[in-house]
Amino acid sequence: MKLNDGAVDHTYQVVKVINLDLPVERRLEALGLTEGTEITILNKKKHGAIIVKVRGTRFAIGQNIAAGIWVEEAPVS
Amino acid sequence: MKDTVYIGLIGNPSCGKTTLCNAYTGGNRKEADWLDKTVEKTESIVSYHGHTFKLVDLPGVYSLTAYTAEELISRNYILSDELDVIVNVVDASALERNLYLTLQLIELGKPVVVALNMMDMVEERGMEIDLHRLPEMLGVPVVPVSARKRRGLDVLLHAVAHHIDQLEPVVLVHDHEEQEENSQHMHDHHAEYAMVYSDAIEDKIDVVTDILRQCYPEMKNYRWHALKLLEQDLDITARYPVDLSQVLDCSYEKDIINEKYDFIEEIIGEVLMNKEEKAERTDKVDAVLTHPIWGLPIFLGMMALIFVVTFTVGDWLKVVFMEPVIEGCSAGILRCLLYLHVNEIMISLVVDGIVAGVGTVLSFLPNICILFLALALLEDSGYMARVAYVMDDIMGKLGLPGRAFIPMLLGFGCTVPAVMAARSLEHVRDRRKTILITPFMSCSARLPIYVIFSQMFFAKYAAVVAFSMYVLGIAVALLTAFVLKFFDGKEQKQRALLIELPEYKTPNLHSILIYVWEKMKEYFTRVPIIFVASLIMWVLLNCGPGGLAADMTQSFGAMAGKVLTPVFVPIGLGYWQIVVALISGIAGKEVVVSSCGILFGINNINSQAGMEQMLATLSTVGFGAVNAYALMTFCLLYTPCAATLATIRRAFGSWKWTGQAVLFQLAVAWLVSFVVYHIGLLFV
Repeated sequence: MKLNDGAVDHTYQVVKVINLDLPVERRLEALGLTEGTEITILNKKKHGAIIVKVRGTRFAIGQNIAAGIWVEEAPVS
Repeated sequence: MKDTVYIGLIGNPSCGKTTLCNAYTGGNRKEADWLDKTVEKTESIVSYHGHTFKLVDLPGVYSLTAYTAEELISRNYILSDELDVIVNVVDASALERNLYLTLQLIELGKPVVVALNMMDMVEERGMEIDLHRLPEMLGVPVVPVSARKRRGLDVLLHAVAHHIDQLEPVVLVHDHEEQEENSQHMHDHHAEYAMVYSDAIEDKIDVVTDILRQCYPEMKNYRWHALKLLEQDLDITARYPVDLSQVLDCSYEKDIINEKYDFIEEIIGEVLMNKEEKAERTDKVDAVLTHPIWGLPIFLGMMALIFVVTFTVGDWLKVVFMEPVIEGCSAGILRCLLYLHVNEIMISLVVDGIVAGVGTVLSFLPNICILFLALALLEDSGYMARVAYVMDDIMGKLGLPGRAFIPMLLGFGCTVPAVMAARSLEHVRDRRKTILITPFMSCSARLPIYVIFSQMFFAKYAAVVAFSMYVLGIAVALLTAFVLKFFDGKEQKQRALLIELPEYKTPNLHSILIYVWEKMKEYFTRVPIIFVASLIMWVLLNCGPGGLAADMTQSFGAMAGKVLTPVFVPIGLGYWQIVVALISGIAGKEVVVSSCGILFGINNINSQAGMEQMLATLSTVGFGAVNAYALMTFCLLYTPCAATLATIRRAFGSWKWTGQAVLFQLAVAWLVSFVVYHIGLLFV
């Protein structure tokens, strides 16, 4: 599913980054958001941006970017 | 050691790199968080123990790929023979994110010294970094510094001087026994390289290295080039074409990134203590401050509170401290000049022109001090970044990125840094739009105008009236952006927010004071402009075609004002004194107040007596509350001050654009004042 369809306080695993501009994709990679990375949704607005935690750092991510990040439920560790 | 040592300063955006550079050189470059100010490569020279060091300030980057010009420029410069040592400035309070660049830098094979900046912030957050273990894991020296407090600067240069010819890792102690035992790879790299990859990748590196050795025997750093080829780096693949069809079944870029981050996780686990505790606190605070419903009202409430405090406390300080001091100075200077039997005209020039003009500017110091104190609190606590999230959907409706709200917010302080901030927006169109509307955000120099006129005409509603100016400015800015949105292309409509949210912390008194002091200095730099403007004003108003004018109505200023007055009649400002004051406001908007004082012949317009006198004078010419409101509106919106114009010109890079912006703002100011004036007349 898309990251912005995820629920608050849930942790997901990044499957694939799709349909994003190349510079945005590169930027996400440099920030450590790659396939297999765990991503926790901390907060989200109804039709807006979301706040996530990736590798210990919080980011605010716009809806457009969030819609390009495909995730799945993270395996329970 | 060479005569001149070239040091490349590199780090993530807003890691404090520019502050560090300034700490060495005493340079006066401004720097704001969340911004990447270093657009070009800048050099500065520092002497240390008889050696000359050349600091090269490189652009702020997150990584060293060939995808962006900035990253490629930095990378190529580091690889060039000129550079001797890399100083990697690391924001210790965001160690995890910053170390990714560090690992890439170490792989470049040049001597690296890590400058661990913002250690004060780490301590303040109650976290601890194991400074013994970190260099062991990275294999490079790590020097804690505080650029803001100028600590550790000499130690850093000392480490650089000792590290120049050091290419091997200093000490490399990894705790990888399990991994090393299980490793099937033919080499043991753990004593050699900080970053050791999985067997699969290490095997590939070996194969590529062998191929490179045959094709390019002169090459310096095989391992790094092999890695870049495995990542299918555009630049290196083009420069060193080799046939890798045997090994390269796909791009290993993502695996390489992942393994680097895995190693970073390991480092963080070993060297960073007490991280979780603070993270929990931030999550709790964020649950309220970035709440889907309450986030916005809380933010707006905070802004309103800031302005109420700016008014009440600021005005009290102004009456109690600033005014007596300025009046005392003015009287003292007058007495001195009289004692020296100075020419009467000179006395008028000095006391009425210069001292009065400069005194007016200084009397608003308390208001501006409080405003920046509040903004500094927001910034230092970590809340400022949340604003971009809270405002994202609203700004999105205006076709602007959430980040554009930050320059607009800075616009409340001073338009000059705000326009500079807007320059860091990614897309040209976002930049232009933001720069066009930022001057509508009421800057602190306009505050004196509201304070005086709202107190004169609206008495106890002064604060409400003044606050309405801020709201009006925001409304006009938003409306402009909204209209401009219809001219946006398709690409523009696909905007994207991506911003780091730092952990909250108790604001640090020291850093807040530094911030406020820097803003004060910035405000003080306007004094010479005001000085010159006061001088020009005095000449304009005291000299006429026939030399010294006997009466102000015979002066050049009156002539110019009278010519332009008809244009201002429809907006309720058809008074030549007001028109001249508005012209003088281009030097700096706060000048409008002092000019009004001089033009209406009021001695000290900021004092209670001065205001009463001014009110009486204005009433006799039919200038009432509605006119005052129209005047405030016009001052809010018309052409920004000369300093801002110069900044806008630099940001646009063209006089044509700047000229269009000026005409646009004049037109908007006239139109809105017209509407406000005529609506106001209906109620009087």
